[in-house]
Amino acid sequence: MRSTVKRVEIEARKQLRAIVRAYFLSLDEAARDPARRVAWCTSVGPCEILRAFGFEVYFPENHGALLGARKVSHQYIPRAVAAGYCAESCSYMTSDIGSAIAGYSPLTDAFGIAGPPRPDLLTYNTNQCREVQEWWSFFGKRYDVDVLGITPPPHLGTVAPHHIAFVRMELEKLVATIEKRFGLQLDYDRLGEVVALSSRASRLWCQVLDTCRSHPSPFTFFDGLVHMSPVILMRGTQTAVDYYELLLEEMNSRVAQGVAAVANERFRIYWEGMPVWPRMRDLSDHFFDLGAAVLASTYCNSWAFDEFSGGDPLTWMAKTSTEIFINRDEAYKQRFLRTMFHRFDIDGAVFHNARTCPNNTNSRFGMAQRLRDECNIPILVIDGDLSDVRFFSSAQTMTNIEAFIEQLEERIR
Amino acid sequence: MSKSFYVGIDVGSSATKCVLLRADSRIICCSMAPSGFSYKDSVAAALESVLCQADATREDIAACVSTGYGRKLASIADRQVTELSCHARGAREWYPQVRHIIDIGGQDTKVIRLNDHGQMADYRMNAKCAAGTGTFLESIAAKLGLPLCKVDALAMLSSSDTVVNSYCTVFAGTEVIERIREGQPQEDIAMGLFRSIASRIREMMPARSGEVSATGGVVAHCPAMVRALEEALETTILLPPKPQHAGAYGAALLAQTTIDVGRRAETHASRR
Repeated sequence: MRSTVKRVEIEARKQLRAIVRAYFLSLDEAARDPARRVAWCTSVGPCEILRAFGFEVYFPENHGALLGARKVSHQYIPRAVAAGYCAESCSYMTSDIGSAIAGYSPLTDAFGIAGPPRPDLLTYNTNQCREVQEWWSFFGKRYDVDVLGITPPPHLGTVAPHHIAFVRMELEKLVATIEKRFGLQLDYDRLGEVVALSSRASRLWCQVLDTCRSHPSPFTFFDGLVHMSPVILMRGTQTAVDYYELLLEEMNSRVAQGVAAVANERFRIYWEGMPVWPRMRDLSDHFFDLGAAVLASTYCNSWAFDEFSGGDPLTWMAKTSTEIFINRDEAYKQRFLRTMFHRFDIDGAVFHNARTCPNNTNSRFGMAQRLRDECNIPILVIDGDLSDVRFFSSAQTMTNIEAFIEQLEERIR
Repeated sequence: MSKSFYVGIDVGSSATKCVLLRADSRIICCSMAPSGFSYKDSVAAALESVLCQADATREDIAACVSTGYGRKLASIADRQVTELSCHARGAREWYPQVRHIIDIGGQDTKVIRLNDHGQMADYRMNAKCAAGTGTFLESIAAKLGLPLCKVDALAMLSSSDTVVNSYCTVFAGTEVIERIREGQPQEDIAMGLFRSIASRIREMMPARSGEVSATGGVVAHCPAMVRALEEALETTILLPPKPQHAGAYGAALLAQTTIDVGRRAETHASRR
């Protein structure tokens, strides 16, 4: 049944809209200004180096998520499939490539700009998946620009000094290639400043997420999907730092006043895996109506990096981008999730089996069952996709979620 | 007459089932109506049928719980509960010793595991695909130009261990045509279809654990399905008295629940 209780809107969202708009307008201007340069970068890629060189940085995965959230991915994926990309490969990639082939961008409706900015350079880091390499290659050919990548060793249990040294070496090589290609000289002091800003924004974001440990939680995973934009798009800028200071202040105030993101919070849920972008509003409403706060996630924590306390910025970049959850082995991931369940006092977890994103799906090798037994909490696995709505059955998923809540209710009888 | 009846309505994708229960949990009568285009009409038809059989009116209903995909469209219901909880509740009443319940519906297949207290410990549903559901069988039967009961009767004549291997309904249809072309006996092909579903269900069973109860329209009408499940799961399948009404029965039993679940959950939240 639909809840009659209204959500308490997050005030900072007005500021968020303004800075995201300014970010895209600036990118658009930069792409049309011969004196400015634009680089495309993966979401946990070497953006600090690009910013220190003076590039404006654009993130194609954000475009993939926008296509999904606007519920249009499935219209463009067939264009990429026709061009030879498998329909079951990353739907961020296929929808983004398909929309480029079709000449459509949601940025036009949202910000009145033609679409993604024309790049001068493409950079990626395979710490999240190998697909980005192929995705970037498509655009490298399309725009006839260099595609430069960082390839850390994957599936790491322990991140050893030699792993970090290897990635640092790759970053150095990236710097040298950019310097040669564009006739630039990297200012390492400037890189240190950018990394400090990146780290500062990341720590503030982490503190925002940590406010969800409160009972009731002031913020949800679904809120996080909206408010994480600056830590991705504006990482390494003062704008991101300022925004998270504002958001953290609001969340701390909510905690002090006992303001709940989900009125009458009955259950505390963890979300593991990618969002289902085309159905996030429906899912958010459904959990809200059931009195279940989905308040913590692995996904929103993807940009929660360590503090930068001075020293070598390249080493910090190598370490943080290699240590991320998605680049780790099963045992590490299981330990991480167990810690998170405990930290956020979780009643149950939802694992999203994203059909086109095996790398960011952790229900494929028995982890959900192992954690269920280990932590003695119900775990629901839902089938879907991050962007391609054709892999998602709304009626089946909503029933699954309701049954999951009924299961939680039975446990407290 | 006082308000002495409890009603469970299961608004499924193919049929709407209704069970009328007495306060002592005894089933008075059952009904079924095709869900068709209008779930509201099918709910009304199924409800009126049981009331007519019991010579009762809506005024005699003490409480009603609806379940199934169309549960939210049953305006008479005091509460909506998912079919997973209802099937678990219904099967538990019939077979308290059973820990696994399989429900093969038109639109989906569910495997529910109960804990020692009879609570739903875990459950799985088929992925977004017709494979392993009643729709799979109906679709292939239609392709063969036979009613499902004839496919079932044919399958019961089979003595081979043929399996249709394809997961996808469309590919399974192609595989059936290939086997016809190869000259395989029709009864073996028919049995292979039921084994295909049983094989999908086997994947959804987390562990073998004694007897299993099966519910839903497919097992109600197709003995070959029960045979295929027993072969695949290597266990006895317990078929309740009214397999297709198990969800509605569970809903009617839940209608008898007097404890307010919502209030209890709020208490849980306030204790934290």
